[in-house]
Amino acid sequence: MRAPVQKKEKKEYHGMAAIIRDPRVIIALVLLVASLCAIFIPFTANYNGTNLQFGLDLEGGSWIQLEFQADVVTISEDSDVNKVADSMSKALDCTVKAIDRNKIEVDKKFTQDELRSAVAAAGGTFISSSPGVGSETADSVKRTLESKVNSLGTNDVKVNILTGLGGVAQYVRIEMAGVDMKQAQEIVGKQGLFEIRIQTAGDQTEHVLYGDSVIAVQNPTKTTSGVWGVGFSLDNNGAQLFRQACIDTGATTNPSAHNINMYLDGEEVYSAPLSPDLASSISQSPVNSLSASTGTGDQGYEKAKELEVHLRAGALPVEVKIAGSGSTSAVLGDYFKVICIVAALAALAAVALMVYLRYREPLLVIPMVLTNMTEIVILLGVAVFIQQLDLAAIAALIAVLGTGIDQLIILTDEVIHEGLVPAKALYMKRLKRALIIIITSAATVIIAMFPLIIMDLSTLKGFAIINILGILIGVIITRPAYGKIVMEIMANKKTKN
Amino acid sequence: MKFEFDIDKYNPKLTIGIPAVIFAIGLVIVAISFGTCGLPVTPGIDFAGGTSVTIYTDQTQDQVKEYFAGYDLKSIDTGLSGGYYLKFGPMDNDKMQAFNEYILAGYPDAGINQIGASFGTTLQGQAMLAILFAFLGMAVVVFIAFRNLIPAITVVCAGVADVTITAAVMNVIGMELSLATTAALLMLIGYSVDSNILLTTKVLKRQGNTKEKFAGAFHTGFVMTTTTFCAILAMFIVSLIGQVQTLYQISGVLVIGLICDFFFTWAFNAGVLKLYLDRKNPQKKNSGQKAKAAAAAVSAADAADAEKSSDNASQAQKTQKAQTQAPSRNRKRRGGKR
Repeated sequence: MRAPVQKKEKKEYHGMAAIIRDPRVIIALVLLVASLCAIFIPFTANYNGTNLQFGLDLEGGSWIQLEFQADVVTISEDSDVNKVADSMSKALDCTVKAIDRNKIEVDKKFTQDELRSAVAAAGGTFISSSPGVGSETADSVKRTLESKVNSLGTNDVKVNILTGLGGVAQYVRIEMAGVDMKQAQEIVGKQGLFEIRIQTAGDQTEHVLYGDSVIAVQNPTKTTSGVWGVGFSLDNNGAQLFRQACIDTGATTNPSAHNINMYLDGEEVYSAPLSPDLASSISQSPVNSLSASTGTGDQGYEKAKELEVHLRAGALPVEVKIAGSGSTSAVLGDYFKVICIVAALAALAAVALMVYLRYREPLLVIPMVLTNMTEIVILLGVAVFIQQLDLAAIAALIAVLGTGIDQLIILTDEVIHEGLVPAKALYMKRLKRALIIIITSAATVIIAMFPLIIMDLSTLKGFAIINILGILIGVIITRPAYGKIVMEIMANKKTKN
Repeated sequence: MKFEFDIDKYNPKLTIGIPAVIFAIGLVIVAISFGTCGLPVTPGIDFAGGTSVTIYTDQTQDQVKEYFAGYDLKSIDTGLSGGYYLKFGPMDNDKMQAFNEYILAGYPDAGINQIGASFGTTLQGQAMLAILFAFLGMAVVVFIAFRNLIPAITVVCAGVADVTITAAVMNVIGMELSLATTAALLMLIGYSVDSNILLTTKVLKRQGNTKEKFAGAFHTGFVMTTTTFCAILAMFIVSLIGQVQTLYQISGVLVIGLICDFFFTWAFNAGVLKLYLDRKNPQKKNSGQKAKAAAAAVSAADAADAEKSSDNASQAQKTQKAQTQAPSRNRKRRGGKR
């Protein structure tokens, strides 16, 4: 039953033996097994029968999207951006800060005309403005929200900053699995209780002021000596209270014995003595602008970022408005999951039936359908690590199932004529030609999907990523392997006949 | 089941003309939509703002409607499994929060999605840009793949027409533009060139009889498209019965698009390719004696005249005349061909 083996240095195999020795087939099989392991071996925290991560619409949960009520203004570089920002801050009565050589963040909503005249009045030249905040403010919003939701003990929370076309952070999206809408809104809107106390004697402390006296908190800054710190301002009443407490406890004369402690919801978040400089100036008059230093280096910076969030006590550095929200109940999510599985199975059955009607040859149909399934399993295996599956991603998965079989058909028709496989050289030539068609059409789908990945605002990233991944896996891994399998199977059949 | 795709049986002018007319109609519909709402398809909640609610209940549609009386209910869709998909107009934040509680009080397992109008507008801009980039990217890939102006333009046209007509059909049947349908349209841009690339590659880049190449490509392409179509149709039916909006919208658009694609590949693109090949090497045309006679005359004629002359004998004579009038030029050409 075997073709006469020619005298070659390399031993030639045929049929199954050749298939399982082919590197393309080996790679596909190894990846198949690895993917099955990735999906089913419990190694992740959210293992639930599988390791697949599901989107909110399949898992149940809520999302809230907030829009920053702020603008980033670009001015021409010929004026001093810091000066313009300072004078705009006074004129507009809100936080205005320079975030780049020619960009200014205005933390309040104004019309473009208002911004234009404010820039002109401040001595700058207005070029453009786009809604949103700079990256520093966006990061601080993200940290604040994360600390809020983490305090709740749920770890299945994602906070993502969504950037618009101009590279300006425009929205922040919070996704909370297993939380209903009402709870979600409460969490996001929740403010913590911030308190400053002063050490009196030993481990005794005394109340000084609450967070309502803190009127502004700055982003972490570094002194010339490399010490990180967070600046914050007290209102006049707060400054008065702070001074009185320092004098009463004796912190102005002996700072090291009387630490200033800060608490958020009763938990200590900062403790340090007054600096000698501050102690002496505070003994003379109330000080509104204070700075809490957190040390040097990366560690100091990390601490400063944390402290900034705590000082804000859950308040965001910039005003936000709800731009969208949604929730899926767990029951609905489970139902959607069932429908997804049914849809995928129905699609697979439809594909198998069509292929059978076309070829009426189990020796071709079975490898075809198995190759297609392998593709999907590898795709899911990869998805475990990089992409959560939502409904749109499932739709992409089923579409990949459809396109995948398409390309197997191109391949099959190209290499087989009248149910026969040509000699190896011709076969490889035809296989190559078929792969060129496949690669070209794969390239167009990938390029058409690409904008969705960059489109930060949309929830369609999953759809695009699954689509592109599916195509890549098909083109690189499973289709070449299938080409080899078909060749051997048909060659074997020919020799049998 | 055995259907032979015989390219010579069809008049290329009709196979190009009919799709072109349909494309033109589609273009008008999409243009009207652009004129009225600034988008190729009437925007749904994702782009216009509003609230969508998915509920599963034993209640009748009237009971559900009654519960939501007093709210700005825009539409209500029903699946076969007791699912309702309701759409409400945009409302402000405070009203929205109260509405949320009201929905969950009546239907604790409801799925809710609310998009603010301003966010919708931002999404619109991005979606339009995404579609534009997808078209451009597709065109670039096609041009690189073929490096041949006319076939490449034809494939790109077929893709553009496919998406345009699908958008027009969506307008006509009242399917709205959502994030999901946008994604499906983008995918269609990639999908639509799939079978076109197969056809063009097989017909232009391979040796052999033109008629057989067309038939072979059709055979593969037909199975291909029907298989994908069946997979997508299965998803469409399941999601229609189960009332799962995202799946339903994506698969619905793909179903429409694949039908368009089929038509544009095998009528429009095949027709153009046929004309293109006839012009490029007219002597290979071998359908019927009349054509053969014409081909003999045409082989020497100017390429621009070839298409007209192949149609009837009188024109063939005209070209014959032209041939005698410019003998030196023809000889030169013939020499070049040999």
